[in-house]
Amino acid sequence: MSLALTTFRAFLLLVSSPGAEKHLARLVKGVVDWWAGKKIAVIGPTASGKDSFLARLQNQDIPRVHSNSPMGEKIKSFRVKLVLSNRQSIDITCKGVINVGGETDYRDAPSGWLAVCQDADVVFYMMTIKDLAGSKFLRGRRIRQDLDWLLTALPHLKPGVLIHILINKIDEEIESHTDYRALAEELAKKLAALDETAINVLHPYEAVYTGATLISMKNKQIYTRAINNVLRSVYAAFHGTAKRQKAR
Amino acid sequence: MRAYWILPNRDQSDAILASDGHDILPLRQILDPKLRPDGFAHGVPTELLEKCGPKAQEEILFAQRFPGWNGDKTIFCLSSLAGIDSSGRAVHLGLLFILEPGERPQFDLPSSGLSKEDRVYASSLIRRMASSRRDDIWAQSVHDLIEFRSDREPATNVALERSVVHFQALYAVGRGGSLKKLHWRRPHVTAIALLIFLAVLSVCLSVRACEQSSHPAIHVGVATWHFS
Repeated sequence: MSLALTTFRAFLLLVSSPGAEKHLARLVKGVVDWWAGKKIAVIGPTASGKDSFLARLQNQDIPRVHSNSPMGEKIKSFRVKLVLSNRQSIDITCKGVINVGGETDYRDAPSGWLAVCQDADVVFYMMTIKDLAGSKFLRGRRIRQDLDWLLTALPHLKPGVLIHILINKIDEEIESHTDYRALAEELAKKLAALDETAINVLHPYEAVYTGATLISMKNKQIYTRAINNVLRSVYAAFHGTAKRQKAR
Repeated sequence: MRAYWILPNRDQSDAILASDGHDILPLRQILDPKLRPDGFAHGVPTELLEKCGPKAQEEILFAQRFPGWNGDKTIFCLSSLAGIDSSGRAVHLGLLFILEPGERPQFDLPSSGLSKEDRVYASSLIRRMASSRRDDIWAQSVHDLIEFRSDREPATNVALERSVVHFQALYAVGRGGSLKKLHWRRPHVTAIALLIFLAVLSVCLSVRACEQSSHPAIHVGVATWHFS
């Protein structure tokens, strides 16, 4: 059995464990319509996998010319067709995508992350499993600083914008472990801590946070499974928020 | 003039580092991100890497010029590839100049404070810019950008199609990394040629009309054309 397949099976075990289960939302009616034509932004620290994510969305392999993105560059509009498990598919039109570097210099520059996120309906914040394991979401560290930045940026973003965290390179973590149950428990605790931090930091805009999902840009099977979960999670969060607002 | 190396981010750290040739410090201490001109880059745009392909990538020199920054200063930034980082991605080495009015970049910044690996790329960059080799078209394009005069608009040595910010450009890069000088003055030349043609035509027609007229011409109009 190939390493990629073994890793994928271990991934399925991880995401089906009780701790991580709540990060996977159920399929909600209307998800297809809701995602059609949505504009997305991808931000995150350097080497977190933003370029690879854009390539995967375009159904391409990891970029041939792989470079630390040094400046904001426009990417041609493209359509994403994602097939859901119930054989329905989602068309996302990615318009006016800008690719920008992940260093804090780009985060804080006026033409940096803010310009990327300004018109987005959904902002994907990319981090890696090492950031999660290293608790970089705690005060003073990089992920926490980025969450703080998101809080200051939110008033300038499109009303109704949603933020989802993608935790890339889960394949590397799986490959370096043998006791997957122990790993699942450990990840569940870290994910819960990340959720708590994100909700606290983003207050009073915590409703924009739709959760965090483990993903791998390198392992196509994990990617496909995870991205479907992401699409459902984001929609489920939107649906929940909309319902609450209606109830008020 | 203030000059700094912008160092390759080989260990994928969160901040871009710079050096005056001796000491290393975060780039944000030299150039606050909030005050950086729109489109300022510390490396070779991915677009150029893709166009040039793996064979010609090492030759690329990408330069930007931002006049009128922070009053009357000019930012001039030059970048080249500088190997790969810990996950195999291409990284970049930059030379940043903050110029007072009338100053020009001087390519003599020391590199003793840089790592051994960075020093190799720094020396190569300085050598290329200091050399008067006529066959280094990329270096020539950077020198042309230094000489280029534009009051306010930012400019680059090569044209970019995917840049978020609009730059004036002196050269265009073709497939395989070939550089072609853009004749950005051509519209002016064409306009002047057209005006001369129209002037000659109108004189010819006037003369012919006078010859055919039964009435002697009393007044002769004088048309004066100003070319600027």
